[in-house]
Order: sequence, then structure tokens, then C-alpha cells
Amino acid sequence: MEELRLGKYVVGDTSKCTGCKACEVACFAEHNKKTNGVGKTVGTVTIPVTPKLYVTKGDGFCVPIQCKHCEDAPCLNACQKDAICRIDHKVIVDVEKCIGCKDCMMACPFGAISLLPLCKNGKVVAQVGCTDTQLSASKCDLCQGIDGGPACVRVCPNEALRLVEPEKERKEKNIKSAYSLSLTKSFGKEELK
Amino acid sequence: MSMTYVTIDKNICTGCQECTKVCPVDAIEGNPREAQEINTDKCVMCGQCVQKCKSYVSIVSHGNDAYEKVRKERNLPETVKEPLFAAYNVTHINEVIEALEDKSKFTMVQSAPAVRMAIAEEFGFPLGSLADKKMAAALRKVGFDKVYDTDFSADLTIMEEGTELITRVTKGGVLPMFTSCCPAWVRFMELNYPEMTDHLSSCKSPQQMLGPIFKTYGAQESKIKPENVFSVSVMPCTCKEYECNREEMKSSGFKDVDVVLTTRELAYLIKYKGIDFANLKDEEYDSPLGDYTGAGVIFGVGGGVMEAALRTGYELITKKAIPDVNILSVRNYSGIKTSLIQVGDLTLKVGVVTGLKNVKEVMEDLKAGKLNDYHFIEVMTCPSGCVSGGGQPKLLEDTDTFEAIDHRRNSTYKHDENLPLRKSHDNPSIKKIYKDYFGEPNGEKSHHLLHTTYYNGKTKKK
Repeated sequence: MEELRLGKYVVGDTSKCTGCKACEVACFAEHNKKTNGVGKTVGTVTIPVTPKLYVTKGDGFCVPIQCKHCEDAPCLNACQKDAICRIDHKVIVDVEKCIGCKDCMMACPFGAISLLPLCKNGKVVAQVGCTDTQLSASKCDLCQGIDGGPACVRVCPNEALRLVEPEKERKEKNIKSAYSLSLTKSFGKEELK
Repeated sequence: MSMTYVTIDKNICTGCQECTKVCPVDAIEGNPREAQEINTDKCVMCGQCVQKCKSYVSIVSHGNDAYEKVRKERNLPETVKEPLFAAYNVTHINEVIEALEDKSKFTMVQSAPAVRMAIAEEFGFPLGSLADKKMAAALRKVGFDKVYDTDFSADLTIMEEGTELITRVTKGGVLPMFTSCCPAWVRFMELNYPEMTDHLSSCKSPQQMLGPIFKTYGAQESKIKPENVFSVSVMPCTCKEYECNREEMKSSGFKDVDVVLTTRELAYLIKYKGIDFANLKDEEYDSPLGDYTGAGVIFGVGGGVMEAALRTGYELITKKAIPDVNILSVRNYSGIKTSLIQVGDLTLKVGVVTGLKNVKEVMEDLKAGKLNDYHFIEVMTCPSGCVSGGGQPKLLEDTDTFEAIDHRRNSTYKHDENLPLRKSHDNPSIKKIYKDYFGEPNGEKSHHLLHTTYYNGKTKKK
């Protein structure tokens, strides 16, 4: 198998997205099955909905914004607690190390990171020294370790989301360009002489 | 009295219009990307929009305090922690909580066949897990004095509706006869085809049959004054609360069903009372109004009322045992299905319409006189019958819809197969209630308590 050289990411299509938030709900559900007892129905949820992508409304369009898993990731570079690292070409937050300083949030040029309540065992986690909720960076991890790949892509009722494999797509474009060159070579300089 | 049953919260709705794609009557109006509004003149309160909506009250979009504010606005108990969405049904759970705490009230509850196929999902069980006995235990633990069952009155509906059909066929009544169990379908008829409502069976729905029985026969059985009975029903349906509030639904002399809870609201109530549902020991429903057969169970799936009616109709007409109780040709996942059923010398032509979106062409055919050779047609509003009702547990991911419906359906047929009695007329408590109270099906007493009338374009609007 060919080695992955550049990270994949999910991208939305503004012409198809209706802004329904099915992606946000599925994202939350999939990421909280093991740790917070979320099942298949709404009634199994006991914690606030904390998505890792953010449906954004513009003038006349909507689309979810999520992490592009940058190769020189500003969030990773900004984090002083080493709470963000790269695993298998994915930029991943370790919530155990995150102190909620918001540096990553400010560093991300796309606004793909928000700070949201940390939950464990179906409950919101309080801070050590007070009753305030502990917040941690919430961003797309491409459903790492979750069966069926990115849940947002799978559940979108309008097929508005897709997983981009940049290197593969570039190579495909190369092949298309090369093919068209092969058809046009007879019209090269030699012919004009 | 004008009341709201299903509504959309303008502050939460994103205007994605996904709900408009599932609304069977095009009742949801508004511009794209703006908050939508339900046109109550068209809405049949089926709650499919409630099931579909994913636009939730969000910390990111609405702030930290929004959830509590919306929860309070919607009169949901403080134990509710689950996501709240823009489209929702108005709850009356607090009236039930108050009645359960009121010592002067004798509380009786009934729950519909489809509820037990789905309630356990809200407590983390696999989709479609049958929880008939756990639910009986939960209802008792919640504090209901009598845990009765709509499956019993589904059997009773078959006795009444089967007899009505036989009378219409043999003595020349209006045919085809349509089922009348689904209040959203009845509402649709009254709104759009009032001149055809004489095609509807005059039978009340199982919920509205058991309501007045609670406050008459049931009160007698428990030696309680009818005015002290508080009658609650648990339904997979968001339209049943509307049905119980219809003006004519007072044949006991009181409001026959005081409050309706949806399946989801029963889960709220169980959680509010701090009951550990998963570890409840199995319990039975109370006799006699909680005794049921497999015929009552299958009311929850498309084609179920038809199958149950045929099981009994066959034997009442031919006086012989039906060769096979499983009438596969009328079982319907969704859409329109027709079949010919041989009942002695009589060939019954029947239809099953599952999903209200499919009913318009049927009504146009009826108007055009193309259905004159049909005898009996079942109509259910929700996409796969009551198991897919608007009040059922809502899925977090719609990609699970097929699995949920499939498993709830399978559990329904399995429950039917595993019961010792599978024909309504074999139910000993049905025999008893006719012997002790009603006399005979379609008799005077049943006409008073178990049958109803509809708006026909001339009578008073309902």
C-alpha cells in the first residue's frame, strides 16, 4: 500500500449543505459512546452536545467548518502543554493535558477549534479547585478509532460532506492533465514546421 | 379550545427545511435558512418533524444558559439532560407527576403496543428490544395504581370493528371501510375529505376505547368513584394528546383520557422517579384490562390492524379455525399493498396504506369510484406504522432509521408469535367484558362508549 504523505480532511459543499446540524449531532454521538454512555437514541444522552465541527451560516449559505489537519499546524505549534500532537497524519487533542488556555483556538485560521465542556462517565467534569466546568479544546479527529470513518460524512442527508485525500486527488489531476497532453502532442511545434 | 401539540422553536430553528421533506401534508412553511412555522390548519400532528429535526440548543450557538431556559420553557423536569431540538411536542408530564403525588386520585395507565418495542432504547438497550414486562414494572414503580394496557383495547377494537365490517359487507353499508385507529389519519380525512368520512369505521381508537372503560367498568372493578380516576395513556404518537382533547371524547361523563405521554416522555418520568430501568424485574399487567393477545400487539406495525381483523373476521364468518394466523400478504413495511383474502365463500378485497404520503392517490381513486370493489382499507400515518411514530425514541443518527424500524417490527411479530393467544376473540377478558358489561359487539352500550362520529362537512367542526 502506498504510504500516506499528506493528511486527509473533511470539507463541506456550500451548494448542498442545508445547515441541519445532523453532522454535529452524529459527531457528538460517535465520540461519546464509549466514554459517556451515549447510545443510539436521544434519551441516552446525559451531557451537553459537544461537536468537533461547527455548522456556520453565511449570507445565503451554510456549511460546517472543521479541522484541515494542517501539515504545519498552528494549533499544535501554539500549544505549550503538548496537548496537541500528530498521529497518523491527524492533528489530535489530548484532553487530559489541555488546560483550556485557548491558544490553539486563537492560532487556528479557520476557527475549527472551540472550547467545550469536558465530560466523563455521562457527567460534566468540574475543575479541581472550584465547581466550574472544565473546558477543553474540541476539534475534528477524523473519527480516529471509530468504525465507519467520519460520522459527519456518513450521516449528511444531502451528501454535502466529503473526505478529501489531497495527494490522491492531485495525482488523479496529474493523470488527467497528462492524458490530455498525450492527445494534443501531435499539434506540437514539429507539426507547424 | 385551541392548543398546540407539535411546534417549532423559532429561536432554535436554522431553517434547514429537512423537516419539510418528511411532513406528509406540507404543513411546514417558511423561507430557506429562516425559522420555519407549522401551519396548524394543515398539520396532522404526526410528529415526523420532531423525529427529523437535528437543530439542537447548543452552547456554541445559543450560550451556556440557553439549555436550562429552554428546558423550563418546555415544562420538562430538571432531570431531563438530553439534547433539546427546535421541533418538539408540547408535554403534559407535570400533570401526570402531580396526579401521581395526589392521594385523592386513583391513577390508571394504558400503553400502546409500539411503546414496549422501543422504550428500552432510551436506557441504552439495543434498538427494538422488547420490554413489555420491564415496562409494566416501571409503570407500577412510578406509582400508577392500575397498570392496564392498550393491547387489551386493541383486541376490543377488533371485536367492534370486525363486527362493523361484517355488518357493512352483509347488510350493505358504506364500503370500503377505512380504519380509524390513527388520529392523524382521521384528522387528515376531516380536513381534506370531510364528505368521505362515512367511509371511516365508527370505532374509536384503542386509546379512546379504554379511556371511558377506565372511568366506568374499571372504576367499578376497583370500587372507585369515576371522578377520582386519573386516566393516563402512553403512546408512540404525538397526535394522541390531540385525540384525547377532542370535544366528543367524554363518553364516560368525564374526560376519558386525562393526559397522554409519548414513549420519550415515559422515559423522562422513569428517570425523574430515579428508577433503574435496566435492572427492573419483570412484572405482569393488571387483569382484566391489561390482558391481551398477539392480535392486539401487531396494531403497532403497518398491516397489523388488518391482520388482526382478518384473524377474527375469518372465524366469526366461517365458524372455523383460520388455517394460518400469520397473514403475510397484508404485512406492510411502507407504501400501498392490496390483497384478496378468501373467507369462506366471500372474497375480501383489502388494502393497507402505510405512510400518509401515500394516501392522497388512494383518496383520489376513492373519489373517482375506483375503489368500489374494496371492502376494508387500513391507513397509518407514520412511515412504517406506530413503531415509527412521532413520539418514539428519536435517533441521534438517521442512518440508524432502517435498523430501528426493522428491529421494532421484528420484536412486534416475535411477541405476537410467543403469546399463547393470538386472536382477539380468544381473549378471556374480552369475553368477560362482553358478558359482564357490553353485552354484544356493536350493541347499545358499546355504541355509547366505544364508537364515535366525524366531521362530514355539514356537522359541527371537530
